[in-house]
Amino acid sequence: MSSPYLEHANTDKAAHIWRYTPWKRAHPTGTINEVPQSESPEISISLVDGTSVPDGITIEPATESDIERLGHELDFDHGTAAPKFIAAVAKKTMILKIENKIKVETPLIVTITTSGDICASRLLIDIGSQVEAEIITLIEGNANWTGILREGQYGSNSIINDVVTQITGNRLVRCDALSLCRDAQVKAGTVNASSSQAKIDIRHWLNEPGSSLKVNGSILSSNENHLDSHIEITHSGRQTHSRLEWHSACGGKSNTTGTGMLRIDAGAKGADAGQLFHNLLLSEKAKANSIPELEVLESEVVGCGHGTANGPIDEQQLFYLSTRGLDEEQARAALIAAFLNTPLSDMGSNLLHGWLVERIEKHLNLI
Amino acid sequence: MSVTPLLKIEGLKASIDETEILKGIDLEILPGEVHAVMGRNGSGKSTTAHVLMGHPDYEVTNGNVKLDGEDLLEMESYERARAGVFLSFQYPHSVPGLQVGNFLRRSVSAINGEEAAKGPEFRNLLKEGMEQLGLDRSFLARYVNDGFSGGEKKRFEILQMMLIKPKLAILDETDSGLDIDGIRTVAQGVDAAIRGSNSGALIITHYNRILEHVKPDKIHVLIDGKIVKSGGPELANKLEERGYDWIEKEVMANE
Ligand SMILES: Nc1ncnc2c1ncn2[C@@H]1O[C@H](COP(=O)(O)OP(=O)(O)OP(=O)(O)O)[C@@H](O)[C@H]1O
Ligand SMILES: [Mg+2]
Repeated sequence: MSSPYLEHANTDKAAHIWRYTPWKRAHPTGTINEVPQSESPEISISLVDGTSVPDGITIEPATESDIERLGHELDFDHGTAAPKFIAAVAKKTMILKIENKIKVETPLIVTITTSGDICASRLLIDIGSQVEAEIITLIEGNANWTGILREGQYGSNSIINDVVTQITGNRLVRCDALSLCRDAQVKAGTVNASSSQAKIDIRHWLNEPGSSLKVNGSILSSNENHLDSHIEITHSGRQTHSRLEWHSACGGKSNTTGTGMLRIDAGAKGADAGQLFHNLLLSEKAKANSIPELEVLESEVVGCGHGTANGPIDEQQLFYLSTRGLDEEQARAALIAAFLNTPLSDMGSNLLHGWLVERIEKHLNLI
Repeated sequence: MSVTPLLKIEGLKASIDETEILKGIDLEILPGEVHAVMGRNGSGKSTTAHVLMGHPDYEVTNGNVKLDGEDLLEMESYERARAGVFLSFQYPHSVPGLQVGNFLRRSVSAINGEEAAKGPEFRNLLKEGMEQLGLDRSFLARYVNDGFSGGEKKRFEILQMMLIKPKLAILDETDSGLDIDGIRTVAQGVDAAIRGSNSGALIITHYNRILEHVKPDKIHVLIDGKIVKSGGPELANKLEERGYDWIEKEVMANE
């Protein structure tokens, strides 16, 4: 079988994206020249309140022209192996389409249920212009290895909260490649609590003027989890705005990595960007790495900053809660929940937030 | 028949990083009493409050403290809170991500039991308290002390006191940063909670403004980690008029 993947199977090991989880380790079999047999997950859509999905929102098999129009997998540079691999291994490509001007009041859930040994899916996202919607992509099921590639675009002037969550699971490789059209306002959230191993690679392109992006991450690692996220934001349109806030609570013997790449292309005048990685260290054996990187090729920018913070639970906060009657376990749980809640509560509406909190709260006792 | 004091502190000494800050404090509050502690900056007022609450940074090197006859120093901070001690912090800590409403429920249920933190009674108490303190409903969705103004922090501490209904309330400069209406509300809150009950309060302050509203039974002057003088409410006016120098002189003359 020949595929564009095989030409890119060897990754640049020096690039920081591959430093902590080499592709050999993320690949389902470890034999990187292999594109093994896979299963396709079940994918369905529903609304959180159980009412029926309105007209104008569909999920169906994608056509060749959809893939040509929305596929981004070739735009990845040093990270090409993973998205191309998923494109090669996935048997089906689906497309989630929301037509122009559709406004959905309650969050839409895209449930991806995996099974079997290797389970992969390519999902195109086609959000029309002036759409207002909240989308939760819920990855669940018991496949040993799951690969998800999401590619597509948010239409002009759309207002979208797009959250991808895997609360428990085995091994995951997830690649997102999404572009924001003119004046689109997007909040892209990731919630991950205890995948055994996750390699997450999220890329956004702000190619057109006036678009605005907030990337939020709430990551809870425990036991021997190995969670590695790479977040890349490219500003090439004028007057574009982005912020990244990535919080990881790291317990047990887990290993958590966050690498960021913030790129401001020449011509992106008035770009305003910032990224922050924050790790809460909950045990002595937990490891956390965060490496934000900047590449600024335009001089007329409003702001461009990055930072990282690492530390254990704050003793003064712990004391404050204990004076309010919380024993150590209760106080720690409250503080971990609070830490994860800062980005979580910024992911979308109260309804969406409540739905996420309900699911993540059960996992706080894993730590 | 003698009453068991609500709070009895004897010979309390405490250090931080080997530096002795409290150098022997004796103080007794009977049920239903309100006491005030006054003293210059750095005299050890907040240290006293923190030590009573079990702050891990301080080491108690001498003395004992009894709450209703029970050894307070033996207890963990959360046990002291559950036993009925409440500290309104001079500088309360912020907890970004933890919403006020959620925090109040967790705290009231930890101290007064799960039942106390739900149902219409709790909601009414909360609503009334917030109205009295001039806090808007949207306050419940904010993060604990995060971005609060000085006055909001103090009001929030008092709201917690109103919901928890402690046996012993320690107010560490809750009056600073409050306007006169705020002070009146705090005073009413303390009065309502303490007077005619078996509770008590220890009010730490620099100013006698709050003491005009909550008439204290006793005033103690703290200098360099020791209570050097105790007296009735008239002492507060004298301190406000004349400062602390005269007391220091008096103490030195006696030594
Ligand atoms: N963490 C600390 N490390 C070292 N010294 C400390 C620490 N905290 C307080 N102190 C010292 O202890 C002394 C008493 O401080 P404390 O905060 O109790 O004073 P206070 O009477 O409450 O003052 P204020 O009126 O300013 O609130 C001061 O000399 C202070 O510098
Ligand atoms: Mg003080």
